[in-house]
Amino acid sequence: MKVNGILSTIFIILLLMACDHPAVPENAQKEDRLPRISPDYTEVTIPCNICPLNFAVQEDVSDVVAKLTYPGGTLTYGKHQVVQIDEMEWKDILKASMGSSIQVEVYGKTAQGWKVFKPFNIYVAEDSIDNYISYRVIQPSYVAYEQLSINQRDLTSFDETEIYNNMSVSSEGNGQCINCHSYQNFQTGNMLFHMRQGFGGTMMAVNGQLRKVDLKTDSTISAGVYPAWHPTQSLIAFSTNKTGQSFHTKDVNKIEVQDTYSDLILYDAEKNEVSIISNKLEELETFPTWSPDGKKLYYCSAHFEYHQTDSVLPETEMIQRYKEVKYDLWQADFNPSTKKFSNFEKIYNASDSLNQSVTLPRVSPDGKYILFAQAEFGCFHVWHIDADIYMMDLKTKKVQKLDAVNSPRSESYPTWSSNGRWIMVDSRRDDGNYTRPYIAYFDRNGKVHKPFEVPQKDPNFYTFFLRSFNRPEFMKEPVTISVQEFARKAKEDAIPAKFVTR
Amino acid sequence: MRIPLKYIYLIVFITVAYLMLPVMNGDYLYTIQDNCIFINGHTFMMDIVTHKGGWIMWASCYLTQFFYHPWLGSTILILLWTVIYGATILMLGIKDKWSPLALIIPCILLYHLLDYGYWIYYAKIPGLPFQPTLLVLICILFTWGVQLLTRPLKVRWDTKRGIACGLLLLLLAISHWLWPTSAWHYNYRFCHSIKTTLFDKNFKHELRMYRALDEFRFDDVLGEMPKDGEDSPTNLMVLYKNIALMHTGQIDKMFETGNCGIKPQPNDSLQIRTSQLGGPLVYYMFGQMNYSNRWAIENSVKYGLSFRNLKMMARTALFNQEFEAAAKYLAMLKNSIFHRRWALEHEAWMLNSTNFYQSVEYQKLSPLLNDDENTLNGDNGLCEKFLLEHFSDLIHANSPLLEDVIMCMSLWAKDYYAFCIHFYNYVTNHPDAPIPALYQEGAILLGNAEESPITLNGFQFDIPIREKYKQFVQDYYQLRQQGIDEQEMGRRLKPLFGSTYWWYYYFYNDFDIY
Repeated sequence: MKVNGILSTIFIILLLMACDHPAVPENAQKEDRLPRISPDYTEVTIPCNICPLNFAVQEDVSDVVAKLTYPGGTLTYGKHQVVQIDEMEWKDILKASMGSSIQVEVYGKTAQGWKVFKPFNIYVAEDSIDNYISYRVIQPSYVAYEQLSINQRDLTSFDETEIYNNMSVSSEGNGQCINCHSYQNFQTGNMLFHMRQGFGGTMMAVNGQLRKVDLKTDSTISAGVYPAWHPTQSLIAFSTNKTGQSFHTKDVNKIEVQDTYSDLILYDAEKNEVSIISNKLEELETFPTWSPDGKKLYYCSAHFEYHQTDSVLPETEMIQRYKEVKYDLWQADFNPSTKKFSNFEKIYNASDSLNQSVTLPRVSPDGKYILFAQAEFGCFHVWHIDADIYMMDLKTKKVQKLDAVNSPRSESYPTWSSNGRWIMVDSRRDDGNYTRPYIAYFDRNGKVHKPFEVPQKDPNFYTFFLRSFNRPEFMKEPVTISVQEFARKAKEDAIPAKFVTR
Repeated sequence: MRIPLKYIYLIVFITVAYLMLPVMNGDYLYTIQDNCIFINGHTFMMDIVTHKGGWIMWASCYLTQFFYHPWLGSTILILLWTVIYGATILMLGIKDKWSPLALIIPCILLYHLLDYGYWIYYAKIPGLPFQPTLLVLICILFTWGVQLLTRPLKVRWDTKRGIACGLLLLLLAISHWLWPTSAWHYNYRFCHSIKTTLFDKNFKHELRMYRALDEFRFDDVLGEMPKDGEDSPTNLMVLYKNIALMHTGQIDKMFETGNCGIKPQPNDSLQIRTSQLGGPLVYYMFGQMNYSNRWAIENSVKYGLSFRNLKMMARTALFNQEFEAAAKYLAMLKNSIFHRRWALEHEAWMLNSTNFYQSVEYQKLSPLLNDDENTLNGDNGLCEKFLLEHFSDLIHANSPLLEDVIMCMSLWAKDYYAFCIHFYNYVTNHPDAPIPALYQEGAILLGNAEESPITLNGFQFDIPIREKYKQFVQDYYQLRQQGIDEQEMGRRLKPLFGSTYWWYYYFYNDFDIY
């Protein structure tokens, strides 16, 4: 009885602590500006099923209180310099605020007393977002790599799990690099990622069955690199690339990743066959992506003619002329029954008319728009500070820069949510070095709203986390294959793909 | 009153441990701490503790930071060893005369800590001084706990002691399952490097020179360089020494102060690279901010984040005016115990640019930032080679310091083609200024070479230097006619010509860049 009493008291205390809502300070002095908060959630639009937007107040204050006013009432949060919102209460707040907004008023305690900053709004869209995203967690190194993982994150909570971790098979002297995870139609039954060096090969789940394939053939320049699953068939378009990297002594971009050669191939997962999509000698084709109906393939290509002197290797010439490499946007028709491509056509001439380079195209789920990253030159825009996100209306071919999602730092790897209402980009706006996923609302009128950084439970997480989130992808469901299952398959020999001519 | 032997043995052990740790190897312990990191806060903790053995690793990292003051870290470590000693005696009921047996584990732990040598730059064991100690301590305390819990059982004491001993040995044997892995590779082993740690003078010089250079104490760097005729320095020591000369306006003295480095070869299993030992600092000191930043990050990725590399990342971000990145790194450093002050000092640079421009670091490094426009290339992991080639190939030196640097680097690299061009530009740019003796020595030697792009015959060189060169040539050919091999010739000519460029040019042919 006595023990029960003690336990009950402890439970009540814990419950009270969990629901601790600070009082709104009285007689606070008004500050006529928005508070500096991190992440910056001021005036952002969020989906109705996102997890709490916890933030830190970056003002010279010792304590904070955030008053959240929403259609259902008012709640307060805050302790020291951080605002962490109870997950259950946040769900109620979102439910009540759908199609409306939450007004946030931040109070900060200074030596002179409390002050209150200008309130800001968080707009809650009626549109939801895919429950999951996945990304590669990697230190933004140059050549070295060590621990890499592909993780999946539940956007409705703070739960994050590993899909695959290279340390499960890597050993000293036999390290493994992993990259380019990709899914068919936002679902995870058909998915893939590459493993390089130790236990190398392309790891695929085809209809939930794992296989490890070697996509390098005698007739292609490399194994598959940038992938794109066909939306309805077991086909994957890949680029094949001979990639190198070199380093700037002064430039703020620090590094150039360049393809000396690149082509496009098609992999038939049912027949384990590789065929050529495009391998023109003076074109560097890369970054394939399908239209939602699977009848068109979009990709990028740079026209580049080597001078072909005996004394200069192509790799060296590519380094010397790195600013001349500019990619345009192309499309090709695809016949799913014959698996043949035709009518290769340049649809956006960025290189000649704008002196720009287009990379990483992604078509919206309704097939009306195509997003891409654009910068002055090159193919690896994550390292280009001038890289921004643009969008083309595929009917009018009109291109617009998405000012709302861009920043003075690099933006790259744009992607759409499955309902086409959310755009996710990889941005280095926080500090210039570490890519973070930002999500922007794309409303029914085609307007793009201010993006928000994917929330973390610890508001200071992004400051103290020295790894990048690369290649963020939306998923409707989590990957259910375990790390151990992937690791077991990784240790097996890769099945060589057959090359066929179409 | 008779003092029990176990206390005497303990006092002897503590004394020896103190002598071996902070007294004799304080720089070694400081460097271990500098190559480790601990940041207060949830993110750092979660990044570590989610891995196998993560809590031990986290606790070890926490304790390792106290080696910032080697005596403080050593005191904590010796205290833990004392607990291990005492617990072993109590648990196993070791008699007084056999109490030295309980010192076996602390002695192994002491040996293990001193066994790293150059491995301190490569071992992927965050908090390496404390990890084995904490693990052993957990095993002992667990065994002791089991023994105490089973006390009421009616079993003979000797049997209980035997079981405890067996359990402890078993736990120690299987403890590698508890050992931290994943995040940073488990790489525990005896490195067979205790000789390096205890007796390799160059290893110790390098540790001290790095710290002095990092703190811009150039005179201390020069003071660490062995005097001529003493031990041969390593290439890295030569590099550190020349950096100190460069920043004290004496770079033309590089061949007078010993420029013939050797490659350390502590053991066969370790491939030593300047890039890991001091690459980021060396690049920083030459004003190569991107390369410094690159190697600070690469080394952090490969061998684990460290205070040393995080500070370098913050510094290069400040010089590159990447203030958001600098703020991030400084915010992390501000959440440490002993590097907080450094972070606050450097944060002040960011908040007030006047502080930055008036800082010693900016004053010293800014003349090197004015070099040619951006180039795209790579160093293939060979920091020294890159610097020699980069500065030798630099045509337009935009500051007096840079003029001297490119001259000296081309001499150092024996790049007569580049030197001749630099020399011609130098004397053209300074028609009335005296030419430093080193440059004259270089010009006399290289100006007449067949491959030289410019004939330097027309320049007026100082008579004593010309005469000395004549003497050198004469002695050289004389010895050669006598059939004396190169090595012996070098030895015989060293007293008279050892400080000249000519001697370096002819007799230093084992430039093993690593």
